[in-house]
Amino acid sequence: MKFLKPLKSLVVAAAVATMTFIVSTPPASADNLLDEIVQRGKLRVGMSTFVPWAMRDKKGDLIGFEIDVAKKVAADMGVEVEFVPTAWSGIVPALLAKKFDVIIGGLSITPQRNLTVNFTIPYAHSGQQMAANKALAGGFKSLDDYNDPKVTIACRRGAIPCDYAQKRFPKATLRQFDDDAQAFQEVVNGNAYAMISSAPKPRFWSDAYPDKVFVANNGENLTHGDEAFGLRKGDVDSLNFFSNWILVNTSNGWLQERNDYWFKNQSAWKDMVAPE
Amino acid sequence: MDRTSPPPGLPKKRLTPTDIVVLGGVAVFIFYAAYRVNDVLVYKWDWPRVLNFVVRYDDASGTYVPNLLLYGLATTLRLAIWATILASIVGLVMGYWRTCENLTLRIISRCYVELIRNLPPLVFIFIFYFFVSSQLFPALGLDNINAGSEAVNNPAFRIAFGDPQLLSNFLAGMLCLALFEGAYITEIVRAGIQSVGKGQWEAARAIGLSPLNVLRDVILPQAFRNILPPLAGQFISLIKDSAIVSLISIQELTFLATEVASSTTRVFETWILVGAMYFVLCYSFALLFGWLERRAARSRR
Repeated sequence: MKFLKPLKSLVVAAAVATMTFIVSTPPASADNLLDEIVQRGKLRVGMSTFVPWAMRDKKGDLIGFEIDVAKKVAADMGVEVEFVPTAWSGIVPALLAKKFDVIIGGLSITPQRNLTVNFTIPYAHSGQQMAANKALAGGFKSLDDYNDPKVTIACRRGAIPCDYAQKRFPKATLRQFDDDAQAFQEVVNGNAYAMISSAPKPRFWSDAYPDKVFVANNGENLTHGDEAFGLRKGDVDSLNFFSNWILVNTSNGWLQERNDYWFKNQSAWKDMVAPE
Repeated sequence: MDRTSPPPGLPKKRLTPTDIVVLGGVAVFIFYAAYRVNDVLVYKWDWPRVLNFVVRYDDASGTYVPNLLLYGLATTLRLAIWATILASIVGLVMGYWRTCENLTLRIISRCYVELIRNLPPLVFIFIFYFFVSSQLFPALGLDNINAGSEAVNNPAFRIAFGDPQLLSNFLAGMLCLALFEGAYITEIVRAGIQSVGKGQWEAARAIGLSPLNVLRDVILPQAFRNILPPLAGQFISLIKDSAIVSLISIQELTFLATEVASSTTRVFETWILVGAMYFVLCYSFALLFGWLERRAARSRR
């Protein structure tokens, strides 16, 4: 079998060469994301389930503010839309790994995030709201009362509310959860004083448990945020396209109308979600 | 013990009063715990809303049709079956290499096993997903599969791999799981091969069998019988481990359950239901493997 030895090293060398080739070859695609989307005939949108931005209706289909936005963007581009539901904590890495073209997922603009992704102009202005347990925090006079070592505040991991809670209530104990529903349940159970999440979820939830939970800060938002589409760095053309799409649909009132429909009043679409 | 005492009898199949008292005590404790949980937990249970995500009534066709969670279960099952097949192939090859005389093969297989066994599954999956699949799949053209084409859009393909649109997503999850579980199967296979006596190797070689025949006709059949129980256990844990690929957004049962839980805000119902679905799946496989083991044992006689 000695004659096999040179053959073996040849095989190994070939395998190594192939691997290097696969890893180093850039994917065959146009430089411009817009062209690529039109060529493919499909806009791939990364999103994460978040009431009422994007959620599942009774049939298991996606509905929500963002779903409407993404569908209209795709329709205006003349392509189909494909939603790529993604775990929130991995949504930016997934964009960079080209699992989809754009994040339309209630991503708030922050300077830190902007270092890794490009943002369009904002298409929505949300903010953080705090739902608090009536029995525990009912007597609190101001927000400063929450800044106390005995207070526990719950929030969703990897999201803006956690950063905000750390800065605004540094003395309070922070508990992080994988989703808001768990964080809110901790407040209902009395294990956390309050939970912070994007408006209007804390208000919707508090409506479901009016005798247990209330919206802190007299129902006002704690912060004001700007949500924008997230894109990979280095592509000015698609950034320009999406930004101007938002500009046009802000001016003609379409975005505001959709926003009011999903955010103002839950009763307009509640039947689509719950089979009551 | 007295040497003349009778041998211990067969295990009794009847419940004695003591057994009944013990079982009753356990039942009372469970009921009390459930009662306490209900008492402490302020929660309005709403099962129909979550059950609707298993099967729903379709107004258009007037029948019950599967919904998200059942699709997720199907994906989990597909993921488990394909990953098992792939992991078995990887495990068989690597397991054999572990016992080879060739040093290169031993180094490769040892590195593979040690690398994966000493990384947390989560870390391995993140690395694999974001570095390997994001480079490998576009290079192979898997990211831009035309979901409408005849080659992928037919019933057989759908049953085997699910929705063609989610193919690259599915393959990424499957490869992650297979490579991960393959390392454990490698070790099981290695132990199986080494459990076969040296005399068997020598005898097989002495009668002039080729290296392939030694392995295929003499060693592996004996090794396989020894490793069947641990192998079955590993397959069942593969099904359970498949839940971690939900973190890289593979659309399987756990991922879809998080979607349902956050859409409906019915957290407990969703997870209890999903737990029950995993249990039914894994337990049926446990019963199946138990039956296979008994059959294998019978054929040995």
